Amino acid sequence: MTHALASHADIREAAAGLFSQDRNPFGAFSIGSQTHRVATIPDAVRLCRWIAMDINATGFGLFFASPSAERDRLVACFDSDYPSVSVATKFMSGAGGEDMVRHTRISTQPRWWSDDGVPGSDAAFRTLAWVDRTASLVPGTTGIAFPVHADRGQCGLAVFFGPHIALQQDQLYEIHARCFTLFAGVALIRPGDAGRSRAISRRELECLKLTANGYTSEAIAKLLKLSVHTANQYLTQCAQKLNAVSRTQAVAKALRLGLIE
Amino acid sequence: MNGSTAPVEADPLSKGTSRLSSRGDVTAFLMELCAEIGADNYMLVAVVHEQDSNDARILCSNWIFDAIELAGKPLIATLAQGSLTAAPGTRPQPLVTDGAPDTDGLVTGEEARLLAVLGHAEVYSLRLDVGRQRLFCLFSSGKAGSIDPIGVMRAQLKCCYALSLAPQLLAQASMRDPLSDRERECLFWVSEGKTTDEVAVILGVSSNTVNSYITHAIQKFSAANRAMAIATAIRSGII
Repeated sequence: MTHALASHADIREAAAGLFSQDRNPFGAFSIGSQTHRVATIPDAVRLCRWIAMDINATGFGLFFASPSAERDRLVACFDSDYPSVSVATKFMSGAGGEDMVRHTRISTQPRWWSDDGVPGSDAAFRTLAWVDRTASLVPGTTGIAFPVHADRGQCGLAVFFGPHIALQQDQLYEIHARCFTLFAGVALIRPGDAGRSRAISRRELECLKLTANGYTSEAIAKLLKLSVHTANQYLTQCAQKLNAVSRTQAVAKALRLGLIE
Repeated sequence: MNGSTAPVEADPLSKGTSRLSSRGDVTAFLMELCAEIGADNYMLVAVVHEQDSNDARILCSNWIFDAIELAGKPLIATLAQGSLTAAPGTRPQPLVTDGAPDTDGLVTGEEARLLAVLGHAEVYSLRLDVGRQRLFCLFSSGKAGSIDPIGVMRAQLKCCYALSLAPQLLAQASMRDPLSDRERECLFWVSEGKTTDEVAVILGVSSNTVNSYITHAIQKFSAANRAMAIATAIRSGII
């Protein structure tokens, strides 16, 4: 009995320690990469579900905006039906998401929609500052979409919907900040990462970075006091490890993955 | 600004879409934010990648002119894009220049003392994501600890929202996309690892045409070669 009590106290102390050490300035929830590192998609789904619960949303989804400017599509990462895919996500991944992709590329303002015909379901949004209305993203629902951006210029959209969403002005910033944290974590989980078995060395990245800055192999060799052959070899290894067919593609991939700035 | 007490507007679509049309509006907005979070100074900066170095382009600020001169652009670029710069959703950490002998390795002791003397004892650096564009905002005060960190996080998102409504200012900040559609397409496919011949097939033009598009793109970016042109285009969010 005493043992159980002691362990309870221990846990409480440990929890208090955690919270005071790494307390979220917004209050109850710890955000920030240190405390909630999103390592896997299920982690991200859990984090997203917490956000949804806090604003009383029934459905949610996280999307990437397609990187190519040629197709304005939302690419689904996960939704509230994870691991399966909800009907709402299918709507958003289709033509319905095009406007929001274009919006996400040029603006960070959240957008809300209301299409469920329930009187008052949009009351939470009508009075919010900074948030404008948009065309319905999911037919027959009311919801809000937060544009999010990650380190290497990836764009995305966190979407929440439901008939009874509650969102105060002050809460808006906190929720959006948490969506950013979530997306930053998810953007680091790339399918490419799993296949990248061999780590790229610092020297190789150095060469790749110089290539991105317009240096030729000869110039790199001179700067880093290597032979031209070695510099070329580093770049070839970079390309191999990144599964790229050319050094130009290796530069592009490394920039997009955030390996170099 | 306080939406919870604001009256319900008949047409929210019209709400605030022109509120930051001029530079003066942005200045007034940032002054308002400074007062809200307890900061004395603001500076809105765009960082432009150059070969070997980063150049800071100051969009607006209320630092005194001499302070900007004395601190210098490289130091401002370091502050704006340094290790203490908080992305949206991360907890901002201030750079404390006052009294700290060697601050965090971001700036040298000498630079820190200079900033402290110039009235920037505490500097918060925030990354602002405005669509794909990226700006930086410095909030500083003459007395360490006077800026409210919770307020800073809110201010960060408000800045992102507000600048989404200031396309004219953003246009000055960025290298405007100088490429034609065809040039952008060519560059995109090259960045995907396609050879000139492959791009020619994809776009249904001759290889010579593809090469000329790419050469034009390289010239427009004043890049040294293809790799640098692609890096520049990715860094500025064009492809």
